[in-house]
Amino acid sequence: MADQKMIRLKIRRQDGPDKAARWEEFEVPYRAKMNIISCLMDIQKNPVNAQGERTSPVVWECNCLEEVCGACTMNINGQSRQACSALVDQLEQPIVLEPLTKFPLVRDLMVDRQIMFDNLKKVRAWIPIDGTYNLGPGPRMAEVKRQWAYELSKCMTCGCCMEACPQVNSRSKFIGPAAISQVRLFNTHPTGEMNKHERLEALLDDGGITDCGNAQNCVRACPKGIPLTTGIADLNRETNKYALDRWLRK
Amino acid sequence: MSTRQSPYHFLIRRVHSLLGLLPIGVFLAFHMVLNLSARAGAETYNKVIETMRNFPGIFVIELIVIFIPIAFHAIYGSWVVYTGQSNVLRYRYARNWFYIIQRISGIYTVIFVVTHVYLLRFGEATFAALQHFVSNPAGLIFYALGVVLAIFHFANGLWAFAITWGLTIGPRSQQIWSYVCGGIFIVLSVVGLSDLTAFLK
Ligand code: SF4
Ligand code: SF4
Ligand code: FES
Repeated sequence: MADQKMIRLKIRRQDGPDKAARWEEFEVPYRAKMNIISCLMDIQKNPVNAQGERTSPVVWECNCLEEVCGACTMNINGQSRQACSALVDQLEQPIVLEPLTKFPLVRDLMVDRQIMFDNLKKVRAWIPIDGTYNLGPGPRMAEVKRQWAYELSKCMTCGCCMEACPQVNSRSKFIGPAAISQVRLFNTHPTGEMNKHERLEALLDDGGITDCGNAQNCVRACPKGIPLTTGIADLNRETNKYALDRWLRK
Repeated sequence: MSTRQSPYHFLIRRVHSLLGLLPIGVFLAFHMVLNLSARAGAETYNKVIETMRNFPGIFVIELIVIFIPIAFHAIYGSWVVYTGQSNVLRYRYARNWFYIIQRISGIYTVIFVVTHVYLLRFGEATFAALQHFVSNPAGLIFYALGVVLAIFHFANGLWAFAITWGLTIGPRSQQIWSYVCGGIFIVLSVVGLSDLTAFLK
């Protein structure tokens, strides 16, 4: 048990939304192939900081542990990403963990990303098929289109794109690139297409597509490689056409 | 959702984008090229200015084609600047830098244009007046920066314009268009700065 390698972590902690933030350092014993979640679990088991003082366990969220749910998103060494797929071996130490800054803080590394789900509701990112009778099978989707749309469907509402976007902040109502990209997904679906206008309509609103400032950070921040800026430009074209058409028909 | 839409938001944004090119951007290019006449000397320059000033209905044309669009673009643009929150220190990408420089150049251009118009359009728009202003090093820097930043704002705005209007959609077309806009920036800056050198004496 001589020379147990230790992992050094520096965590930004806050006991609650109105409490003061502070930094706390930890050391956890190294094991092969550890990720950030396993480090946090070790701290949870033995909540003692690097100075040897007992402290409260660090709060974080996680769920799928395979980078598909987005729950564990946090800033790791200044970059927003998923803690479950952030491997200790690939990170510089001390590993700095901070909560996302664009969402209301709950505690420590846990934030409330509700706004992203509200934005999905705003743009009607679903396919309305409920009715009082059986609507029968929908139109078929071409295989090439399905494969293409699958890439857009990988969005896990993690918030990395929101974190990176300079237009998402407390002074702006911008819904952010994720919700915009979902409009593209649902407007591509042959059944979803039937309600295309409702989603485009939502994008015309305050905080909608026009509030993008073309900094193009989002597309680089997205862990799923979703073509967010291509989606924005594409929907710019669609919303322009839609708005002009609507106006000319008045 | 039954929430009411703000009916003019989209329109205002699109008008803001359109005005940047038409008429403001076109006017800027025209202005830079016309001022090359200064290189032919004080007399030619003063004559060109005189002709422009005596153009029938010039005041109405200026008001509709220049003042109102610029005022709208500037005022709404300032609001847009306010709603952004730069993060270049954390995300050091070229486009993110352009995002913030676009905003800084916009604000600078507003200050520059107000000064410029106050001094020259309502003041004495003679060769000598500008010559006097730029004979002071601070005045020269103020002017040179104004010219370059206004042109940057236009060229980079043109890049974003193509996205706003859904013309360049994929990354490749956006990249190629950025080279074209870069070329426009260089050409217009050369023209603009050589206009300015005509007043150095
Ligand atoms: S391109 Fe638009 S949505 Fe993406 S980061 Fe920039 S401002 Fe935000
Ligand atoms: S678009 Fe990408 S970065 Fe944004 S929420 Fe979806 S998966 Fe995350
Ligand atoms: S726990 Fe689901 S993405 Fe990390």
